[in-house]
Amino acid sequence: MKILYFARISEELGKNQELLIIKDKLKIIDVINILKSKDERYSLVFKKISNIKFAINCEYATKNDYITNNDELAIFPPVTGG
Amino acid sequence: MKIYFQKKDFNLSKELNNFSKKNKKVGSIISFVGKVRPFNNNKKIESMEIDCYKKMALYQTEKIIDILISKGDIVDYQVIHRFGKLFPSENIILILVASKHRKEGFFFIEKLIEWFKSKITFWKKEFYLNSSTWLKSQK
Repeated sequence: MKILYFARISEELGKNQELLIIKDKLKIIDVINILKSKDERYSLVFKKISNIKFAINCEYATKNDYITNNDELAIFPPVTGG
Repeated sequence: MKIYFQKKDFNLSKELNNFSKKNKKVGSIISFVGKVRPFNNNKKIESMEIDCYKKMALYQTEKIIDILISKGDIVDYQVIHRFGKLFPSENIILILVASKHRKEGFFFIEKLIEWFKSKITFWKKEFYLNSSTWLKSQK
């Protein structure tokens, strides 16, 4: 799957996107846990996810929604446009 | 009926004039311009960086606009939201709306701005003299 990061999260991770291959489908929270296991930087950024928003293919999603390799997952802070 | 997400500035009078000429048979045209303020939380803003997820922003903007125009009183609209590096007093957003009556036009702008503050994927970072911060959501 393609994972996109924006704003503070992109800045803190030092990247704005990456690819992650999973088996079948996973909940977003499981994807977050895989990322957290990769290195300390992810653990710090995703330590508290209550203030982080998720979107699957441009639709807002929750941490318990399922995602597959064909999806685009976006991870970002609450928006502040306008 | 157009939505633009762009780095470059817009010319307010030109956009308003063109929009007005295009919509001769309506009862109301309302414009809203959001600008970079010079101060925030007692700190002088040197510049602002706006990040955006364009594909989702377009999808979410179209989604709320579809809901807002489904009632049939909105005749035309134009939305421009900038991203990238901006400076105090520069334009951030322009919303133009043409409607049969003013009430629907004000409602359209109010609701669309609410979505920009809660759903549409733009993020602002303010730069001060010796520090910077990503703004926190008002929602």
